[in-house]
Amino acid sequence: MALWVDKYRPRELSKLDYHKDQAENLRNLCKQSDFPHLMFYGPSGAGKKTRIMCLLREMYGVGVERLRNETMSFTTPSNRKIEVMTVSSNYHLEVNPSDAGMYDRTVVIDLIKQVAQTHQIDINGQREFKVIVISEGDELTKDAQHALRRTMEKYIATCRIILSVNSTSRIIPAIRSRCLGIRVAAPSSTEMTSVLQATCKREGLVLPPELAMRVVDKSERNLRRALLMLEASKVQQYPFTAQQEIADLDWQVYLRETANQIVSEQTPAKLEKIRDRLYELLSQGVPPNIIFRGLVEHLVNNCDMSIKAKTLEHATQYEHRMQNGAKHIFHLEAFVAQFMNIYKKFLADLVMTDDF
Amino acid sequence: MDQYPDENEEFELQYQDELELLEDMPHEYDAYNDGPSTSHKAKAALEKRQVFDVDVDGAPPTNAAMHDVSRLSNSTISSPQLSQITFGATQIEESAGGGQVNRRLFGTPKGPTAGRGCSTPFHRMPAIKELASDGTDHAAPLLTAAAEQLQELGLRGKNKRRLERDLFGDIDDLYHESYEDPMVKKARTEEQRDNDAIERILELRRKMRESSKTVRHDDVSRLKALHDFKMKNLSYEIPSWPFLALQRSDLERLYVRYHSEDYERRQLELLSARGQQIGSLLGEAKQQVWQEANELVLRRMAPATQPQIEAAATPSVSPETGRLWVDKYKPRKYIDLLSDEMTNRSLLYWLKMWDKVVFGKAFHSKQEQQAVTSNSNSSSAAQQLNSFNKRTGKFESNGGWRQRKTRQALNTNVDELGRPMQKVALLCGPPGLGKTTLAHTIARHAGYNVREINASDDRSPEAFKLALENGTQMSSVLNQDKRPNCIVLDEIDGAPKQSIEYLVKFVSDGIYSKVKAKGAKAEHNVLRRPIICICNDIYDPALRPLRQIAFVVNFPPIDAARLAERLLQISRKEQLKTDFGSLIALAEKSGNDVRSCISSMQFFNVQKHSLTLQDVLNNNLGQKDRHQGLFDVWGAVFRIQRPKKMLQQNSSGNGDEPAQVTMTNMSVGTRVRNVLDVVHSSGDYERLAQGVYENYLQQKMPDPNFNGICEALQWFCFTDALQHQISRQQNYSIYPYLQYGFVVWHLLFATLAWPKIAFPTRGFEFNQKCTNQRNIFLSLRKGITSSAQGVGQGNILLLDTVPLLKRILSPQLRSVAVQLLSQKEQYDLRHTIQVMVDLGVNFIQVKSSEGHYVFQTEPDLDTLCAFPGAAGLTLPYFSRQLIAREVDLERIRRAAPKGSDGDAAKKPSTSSAAAAATKKKAASPRLPNHLQTLKPKQITDINGRSAPKQQLTKDFFGRVTHKVTASASNEEAKTDAIVKSPIWYRYKEGYNNAVRKDVHLNELL
Repeated sequence: MALWVDKYRPRELSKLDYHKDQAENLRNLCKQSDFPHLMFYGPSGAGKKTRIMCLLREMYGVGVERLRNETMSFTTPSNRKIEVMTVSSNYHLEVNPSDAGMYDRTVVIDLIKQVAQTHQIDINGQREFKVIVISEGDELTKDAQHALRRTMEKYIATCRIILSVNSTSRIIPAIRSRCLGIRVAAPSSTEMTSVLQATCKREGLVLPPELAMRVVDKSERNLRRALLMLEASKVQQYPFTAQQEIADLDWQVYLRETANQIVSEQTPAKLEKIRDRLYELLSQGVPPNIIFRGLVEHLVNNCDMSIKAKTLEHATQYEHRMQNGAKHIFHLEAFVAQFMNIYKKFLADLVMTDDF
Repeated sequence: MDQYPDENEEFELQYQDELELLEDMPHEYDAYNDGPSTSHKAKAALEKRQVFDVDVDGAPPTNAAMHDVSRLSNSTISSPQLSQITFGATQIEESAGGGQVNRRLFGTPKGPTAGRGCSTPFHRMPAIKELASDGTDHAAPLLTAAAEQLQELGLRGKNKRRLERDLFGDIDDLYHESYEDPMVKKARTEEQRDNDAIERILELRRKMRESSKTVRHDDVSRLKALHDFKMKNLSYEIPSWPFLALQRSDLERLYVRYHSEDYERRQLELLSARGQQIGSLLGEAKQQVWQEANELVLRRMAPATQPQIEAAATPSVSPETGRLWVDKYKPRKYIDLLSDEMTNRSLLYWLKMWDKVVFGKAFHSKQEQQAVTSNSNSSSAAQQLNSFNKRTGKFESNGGWRQRKTRQALNTNVDELGRPMQKVALLCGPPGLGKTTLAHTIARHAGYNVREINASDDRSPEAFKLALENGTQMSSVLNQDKRPNCIVLDEIDGAPKQSIEYLVKFVSDGIYSKVKAKGAKAEHNVLRRPIICICNDIYDPALRPLRQIAFVVNFPPIDAARLAERLLQISRKEQLKTDFGSLIALAEKSGNDVRSCISSMQFFNVQKHSLTLQDVLNNNLGQKDRHQGLFDVWGAVFRIQRPKKMLQQNSSGNGDEPAQVTMTNMSVGTRVRNVLDVVHSSGDYERLAQGVYENYLQQKMPDPNFNGICEALQWFCFTDALQHQISRQQNYSIYPYLQYGFVVWHLLFATLAWPKIAFPTRGFEFNQKCTNQRNIFLSLRKGITSSAQGVGQGNILLLDTVPLLKRILSPQLRSVAVQLLSQKEQYDLRHTIQVMVDLGVNFIQVKSSEGHYVFQTEPDLDTLCAFPGAAGLTLPYFSRQLIAREVDLERIRRAAPKGSDGDAAKKPSTSSAAAAATKKKAASPRLPNHLQTLKPKQITDINGRSAPKQQLTKDFFGRVTHKVTASASNEEAKTDAIVKSPIWYRYKEGYNNAVRKDVHLNELL
């Protein structure tokens, strides 16, 4: 519990820093006899997992916090061994099916069914059901989601499922309708500032409000990121100054630089260099949609008003196509080339109008 | 007709004075077109050889002569070169194209000049004719001619022996006697002699071709010769010379001249250039061959006595129609082979290298040659062979890279047993080039009995082993010819890998030592028979071990013109109306696949008895999926092919052909079709697309506005989407659309220039790196303890936490001892250690590539999320070392017994808290059942403690150990401390005060 993110994480619903009304609702939910499947959705770093853990603690008591790590291995129908890491207590099981990649359906079928089929050992416990927490639920493939929906209904007596997703749009409607959706919005900047201040106070540090504001800005209202950034800043230079450098995310820097290069030069040779950079980003595990988004943001920021709409239009088109493909580099490069095309035309027009 | 004599039998047959002589050679390519001759055959069978020979070729003198004369007069062309065409014209409508071709084919006129002093072994007719026409008298000119021949042969004999040794030792039968001036000969270098050998082979081939094209030039003179001959040797009255009386079917009595044996032999030598070499043939017993030949003759005699219509004469009726032409016209002799001469000879050379082991006959190889000529050019023969240029048909003594390459290919040295170093030959090449035929022909030619194991046989390792051992160590009992076996492993690229591995071991004599060790066989067996393997794809992974030890013979494609000539011969024989142009087209269309061409011809023959250029072009016949290399396909995509001019000329030169036969114009339509064909034949669209993707930007293209690139990329996206659909849903109905992307890319990027294409490695590298990164990431994820769940999972951990983690784990520490660190540094250090332990990260010492030691994170955070230009962990070596040690200690602390208290995590935090921790422990006493046994020791412990109380206990380094005193006061606590620890000791043999002491984990840390 060394990272501040872990160390100062609220453990109870009553101790939550923001969304207090929602916390109250959640507590009421626990008191009810009928506990539905839940789906926590919201941007990353908003506190979904924190709320889920608090909720579990509310239901089962401190026993929930006795966690153990397990690695389970499954064999897919194609005889491939996959390993999935789970974190579990006596009362719940947390699993991240995206570990299994495209074989997550097997995980859903095997693991979740197996857990759901067994009854709670502790009969004196408050609840007769176990909880399965699926983190990063929106990474589930459609197959897996379809496998899940039946499981959810069939084993409702013994098991509840809590999904933690970023966006509900990637969850099939069948699952959406089976879950009670709970939106965890990203904290507002004031809320975040207060959290940062509170953290520093407990650490015995002095945090200048300007720096706090800057961290919040930089973290894009992602509380986890903000806390990590603050901690990194602390390691780099403790007596905080208002203007001290805040650590950037490397891949963001790299992506920004890539976007700048696209704007700076439009030649096939450059396109090839961009391709190398895109390959680099992809191979480092940055998801293609995030790359896409970052590129578009920076490009749109850097280009003229008249071609912004066009850029966005193409971006949506290629991004959509990318979802239907497997080789993301094609689509990314296609978008870059398209932008270069637009931009070059724009520049040519500009020269023309200047001439006349 | 089902059994043709092969090379060896043939020699013996010539010794026989029987009618076989006419059957063995000319039958294969000569159709007996003149019907009357067949009826004559029955009675002619009883006649003497010469008579018969003449009879067959000459046809009945009465009306055939008229025929031939009229034919000649009909023909507008009267030159000897073209007389054959006239001859063929009895069946074939002579087309302009055919005439053109024929003229081209016979660049060297033969005719009367060819007969001078040289009689081709395959064409003995001209010899007789010449013999007869030389003079009208009987014996005198004949004898002079014979003497002349003999003299020449004698001259040649010396020279020839050396020649054959230089080369293959046994290609005598290939030679035809050519006139050689001894003076010139002396001046020749070895190389020239090789040149001669090749030239002779080529010449011989040409001659044979001509002869097979039924070169019946000057028929009239021949008829005259025949008449003379008959007059000389046949008589109705009792002649003056020795005779044999015969009765004809019409009860007429004939007297046939009886020649002396000596004369007979001379005649034979006149007729056949090979007559002389029979004795030295392959070291095989002459008697044996003789016997075989006798047998064969007897077998043939039976059907020959009764009149029987020759199959070839009436193609549609005979049982021959059921036979595939491919079999029918299979090359049966070395000289018939269509494949590249260099290939043939190098394989033959290799096979002859086995002679010493197999036949016990020394093969005149390099060593001997060295001894004799001290030429020091050890592998000259092989080199020179291999520098044979197939385009020019000449030897080239270019001392360049080609020679060096071939030296590697065939190791001409032999091992201690006299076997070639490469004990397996591996023939490889696309199908239909005649690899199997070559292997069979050459093996038979070299005197082996071919034992073939192909894909239709069971090739499981066990069966394979059995077959190999049987083939190499046993010989057939039932079969009467006692030839040694030569194993031909056909289609070996389909064999299971184990079998090939076994073969490799077998060949390198690895098998037998094992058997010997077991005591099964005391004798050390070695491979004593040649093995020839045949495959299509030499780069088959299973063949890799074999490739390294084998003598690899790559099959170059057959020359289209040469193939077409052979096809023309066949068509003549089968009376298929065609012309050379269309056959060339057919050959080219099928990629010079002999089998496919012949089969197509047969198909056309059955269908309509004619084959025109149009047929060839309009039909999809003969087109096979040629496996083209990836680079060829990419080349086709990025390059606009230049129009093929040759074909255009051919078709335009044919006045008869309709104008629509226009091939390669480079319109868009043709290009599209071409690209589609090429891409389709390759098939591996995904890799092809990747190749195009990684190369298209390098192509020169005038595309300033990125329009083309955008379009191309759209197609890449489309292809990707399709491929994804196919692989995900197994929906192969959309598979055909994949190839159209290549058309677009071709149209966008293709140029006339030769494109520079690099092999696409980027995608592969990318995948490798992805896997690598993912593995590091997974190991990081696995290591994260349950107390650090806030760092997220999956992408969040990777994108948010890891980059910042690197900074969090980079505290600024001075390079001093831990005790001297400032409070802030201490705090940072502790914090870092805690975080690292939480995340399961540590520094480990590894040796870097430069040779010095570095501390690296494990799992490798530095590599994870490392972008060029971004700072990773900035810790210096010292700090890493320090942290590594501390992290290890912290790990031990955390793993320390938790059984005593719930506050395991709290206890080991700092050393200052140790005392407090022990006190806490003391507060909760427990009494396990083994307490009694320990109690007495505790008492003694106190006694032992009492002494150190007076003076401070010091450890090895002189540091005062004060902790003991702090805890020693409480006896109960002591007891508990020991009892609680999961490890406890029981001394059975008393105790020793000097040793006995409480040691806590805390003190060690």
